[in-house]
Amino acid sequence: MTRSDRSVGTLIGIIPIALIIGVWQAIAASGLAPPSLLPAPAAVFARLVQQLGSPAYLDHVATTLFRLFTGFAIAVVIGVTIGLAATGSRAVEGVVRPLVRVLAPVPKIALYPAFILTLGFENASKIALVVADAAFPILLATHQGTSAVEPKLAWSARAAGTSPLLCLVTVVLPAALPSVLTGCRIALVISCIVVFLAEMITSTDGLGHLLVRASRSFQTIDTISLLGLLLNVGFNALRARLLIGFPEER
Amino acid sequence: MERLASIPGLPPILACAGLLATWEIAARLLAIDGLPPASAALAQVPAILGDPEALLNIAASLRRMAVGFALGVAFAVPIGLMMGRSQYVAAFFNPLLMIIYPVPKAALMPIIMLWLGVGDASKTLVIFLGVTLPVIYHSYQGARAVEERMLWSAAAMGMGPLARLTHIVLPAALPEILVGCRTGLVLALITMVTSEMITRQTGVGNILFNSLDMAQYDTVYAMIVIIGGLGFALDAAFEALRSRLVRWAEPSHDLVVGTT
Repeated sequence: MTRSDRSVGTLIGIIPIALIIGVWQAIAASGLAPPSLLPAPAAVFARLVQQLGSPAYLDHVATTLFRLFTGFAIAVVIGVTIGLAATGSRAVEGVVRPLVRVLAPVPKIALYPAFILTLGFENASKIALVVADAAFPILLATHQGTSAVEPKLAWSARAAGTSPLLCLVTVVLPAALPSVLTGCRIALVISCIVVFLAEMITSTDGLGHLLVRASRSFQTIDTISLLGLLLNVGFNALRARLLIGFPEER
Repeated sequence: MERLASIPGLPPILACAGLLATWEIAARLLAIDGLPPASAALAQVPAILGDPEALLNIAASLRRMAVGFALGVAFAVPIGLMMGRSQYVAAFFNPLLMIIYPVPKAALMPIIMLWLGVGDASKTLVIFLGVTLPVIYHSYQGARAVEERMLWSAAAMGMGPLARLTHIVLPAALPEILVGCRTGLVLALITMVTSEMITRQTGVGNILFNSLDMAQYDTVYAMIVIIGGLGFALDAAFEALRSRLVRWAEPSHDLVVGTT
């Protein structure tokens, strides 16, 4: 794609979003729907800006982000470790593969009551849910990525006297980084979603709780959308830095 | 080890047995109220499955899920295929999808409930929204990877654009589309449970949280086992169907993971 093609693409992409906001504005302005059911977009955005300035609101955002990142970090550690171990040892793979086969399609949100009962209503149960949901994509991506690494790389390292463990960590893992990061990106979106759900179901703070309380106005949804976009952009920037030297992927 | 693993169906069964044994031991060691041993929870499963009201709830849940899933696939596949074949259609939809993607579909539940009420319509709509995105994404990827020369040959033989889409792009992208459908199926189940947890009216999610409120912990865990079994069974059934439909294609991922 050349540069002008890309800017044309961006312009086309704005059309449906503008269209939706336009239709929304038109419906709100025509009075077809009462303002309590569908406030005008301008009112919603004004509300968003106003809320981003209020400390109490930012407090809720901070709570949500804390849960999100704690859970995500634990999931990355667990997922990468187990995925790598499964590649490194056949015995571990023999145990992990059937377990994942059984556990991956289970809706993790159904485990939430169990987490509430064992870990309480506070942060721990929500973080546990995020870990349960986010660990699987990272684990699978790490395992698939590291299994596909050119075996000659590992053989050379072994021939040069590297121990199997060191070889796994210093050669195979960096070579599989693109795949691992793809898994992390999926997991980040999942963590984002799961945190809100957990907060919607039982919580006294965080964005999900605000959403239930203020479900009549749309302000929290656009914060969530904004947050998701920012996380995505941030992650892409990080990914581009980490992957310097790898051939460009589509 | 190798011989054991080659018997079909055995490794997952062993995995289940291992999980249940771990649960049983952990529950007996910890001895807290909130974690009954596996045997107590499993004893509740026949009681729930024998109760006509619970069965009715489960059937209602599954019906909503099937309707939402079917509508979602019917809507998403054409859009995904067109996005894959036309750069302009792709540019049109991509930013919109990027904005919608991180929003938990169940988070829209409160708003949809205001518009459509708490009945089947709003829950089905939420499931529909949850299924649509992964199916669009995978159809898009599948359609983009179609061999150009096949399309040129067809065009040279006088096939119209629409016929090319249904006769060449669709079958060629089918393996990838089915991967998307499998993700969508897991998602439909997740969204179904979540939407019922939020509205608390009928269905599986409702039984789960009502028994939590009434401190019937055995029932809570029994429902978790049932929902887990449902997820596994649906996934396995779809995988069997998929491998029949596209026997020529190697599965590109042997496992999929859903987002909520």
